[in-house]
Amino acid sequence: MAVGDLIHLLFSTAIIPAAFGGVAWGILGGALPGISPSITMALLLPFTYGMDSTVAVVLLASTYVGAEYGGSIPAILIGTPGTNAAAATVIDGYEMKRQGKAGEALGISLYSGFVGGLFGFLVLVLLTERLSSVALAFTPSSYFALGMLGLSVIASLAGDSLLKGLIAGVIGLMIATIGTDPVTGLNRFTFGSPELLSGIPAILVMVGLFAVSEMLVQTTAPAWEKATHETARIRFPSPALWRRIARPQAIGSVIGAFEGMMPGAGGAISSFLAYNEARRWSRHSEEFGHGSPEGVAAPEAANNTVACTALVPMLSLGIPSSNSAAVLLGGFLMHELVPGPMLFVQHGEVVRGLYAGLLVANIAMLIIGYLIMGPCIWLVSRPKPYLMAFIYALVVSGVYAFQASLFNVGIALAFGVIGYALRYFAVPFLPMVLGVVLGFMIESNYRRALVLSNGDLLTFVRNPISAALLAAAFVVLAGQLMRQAKSRANAR
Amino acid sequence: MRNRDLLFGIATLVVAAVYYGLAVAIPRSDLADPVGPQGLPRIYALLLAALSLILIARSLRRSAPDPDSPNPESRIPNPGSGIPRVVGMLLIGVAYIIVLPWFGYLLSVAALITGTIYFQGGSINGRSILVAVSGAAIFWLLFIWLLRIQYPAGLWPSVI
Repeated sequence: MAVGDLIHLLFSTAIIPAAFGGVAWGILGGALPGISPSITMALLLPFTYGMDSTVAVVLLASTYVGAEYGGSIPAILIGTPGTNAAAATVIDGYEMKRQGKAGEALGISLYSGFVGGLFGFLVLVLLTERLSSVALAFTPSSYFALGMLGLSVIASLAGDSLLKGLIAGVIGLMIATIGTDPVTGLNRFTFGSPELLSGIPAILVMVGLFAVSEMLVQTTAPAWEKATHETARIRFPSPALWRRIARPQAIGSVIGAFEGMMPGAGGAISSFLAYNEARRWSRHSEEFGHGSPEGVAAPEAANNTVACTALVPMLSLGIPSSNSAAVLLGGFLMHELVPGPMLFVQHGEVVRGLYAGLLVANIAMLIIGYLIMGPCIWLVSRPKPYLMAFIYALVVSGVYAFQASLFNVGIALAFGVIGYALRYFAVPFLPMVLGVVLGFMIESNYRRALVLSNGDLLTFVRNPISAALLAAAFVVLAGQLMRQAKSRANAR
Repeated sequence: MRNRDLLFGIATLVVAAVYYGLAVAIPRSDLADPVGPQGLPRIYALLLAALSLILIARSLRRSAPDPDSPNPESRIPNPGSGIPRVVGMLLIGVAYIIVLPWFGYLLSVAALITGTIYFQGGSINGRSILVAVSGAAIFWLLFIWLLRIQYPAGLWPSVI
């Protein structure tokens, strides 16, 4: 994209306000302990329904960028990570705060997040379209196999309990069958309800599973510590410190780039890996754990890199590698944008707009991150019952606004109960979300492929792309099974 | 842990059985492809049943846990006395759905905020009522005035 086109795109649309607004919302959401980036995005999802597609996806992606930084604010100020990815930041960030260097730690976090975000942005732009061009040769059997590869992500996301992850995935696939059958037009599992004819929108599943269930969990969770304004005047790194943290930033950015594209890895794993590697390569490794600036820089660079590179498999193949990417995928589908090669052909302007928006979002993070500190501290210091009450009001109002339907509010609440039960039984969410999001693609393409091949099941292995994708899905699944078997054997 | 896995396995087995029953009841169509509208739902049900049985068998094979030990993997180790508040939170949401068409948006949201504050452990006093009313006004401005969402007006137009 030429610079002239970029400038025209930025100033002829609402991309800039969307990027700034998304980052501000993301930082505020990420700063609230328990409210993850995916929940922050899910809360926003209903509002994007009536928006221009490009503006909507920029708003959601910018929220993701902002939330990854926002999570570090409570991590540094109150020793409680706002997001999972910020957990590694607590180690040295909170220690720096205890030494009276909270402003410096926040500055390092913000600046490192900016560096990581820009690196992730470059990787995203360079890789995504190339990867997606492979999928131009896709047939129904290939799309079915791609869906199966997407589902195999469950193996990586399910952690120690692959079995429970698979169960959640199958339940997600079952939910996706509700509504009108994609081939015959018959109604399935609708119980005569006209509201169910078009199925259960993924957005309601996500708002329920992520946001409503978190509110229910917070009902019995203890209140979090309060921050004070005196501790939080951001101080950007001095030139000497800037040079010192360059190496951990580079380490974090590279690790974040790889981990972001790996299914299931996500910000938390990359942050801890980056922290560990930064310590290994540091000249001051003895300072780690005792308030090392490098210990803040590496994980913060990593988790902001992930916020961009997690979009590579999502945009190019339609495979979300994390909860946040799954919510963003839900936003795309809500606007009838199907990620994959055709997205670049049919909706190139949306992809270009997203790229431009992400670039603006990373710059906006630097500006808003500096300006929003006061409101963030004010928000984190509100009594938790008031915050939860406002979030609940936002959820029910937003879900109603999606299709002006009280039935939808009921569905979101029902999925909140399901989410609470899944948390109780320690069952991962994302497999269910993946099943709901990918279910239609899997079923419709499986059946189309069989119609085209006169019912020949070998069509899925005769097509080289389909065969390769199925083989990859098998490798992912088998690899995880072997890892689990090995760790069980070691445990004995 | 074992008890929770066992319970989860039994629950999903029941889901699989009910879903299978509903899947086989889907009418056949002359326009149907070889798989048909029942095809994949039946496979999903059988797959879920198989996975549930494996989970049940695995949890039965494990040694019995200490009933008082919390589940380290769960975000809700021991909900115990908190369950009534969780149920209360859900009932507020259900009540909101029921009363919105009658009382309109402003009053319903104010009631939802007040109830949530209570069930999240806050107390109902002048301050919380003030927060609820001003919160409802902010949401009214955002959704109805700014975003032009058509929420039910309730009985107020006929009363006024």
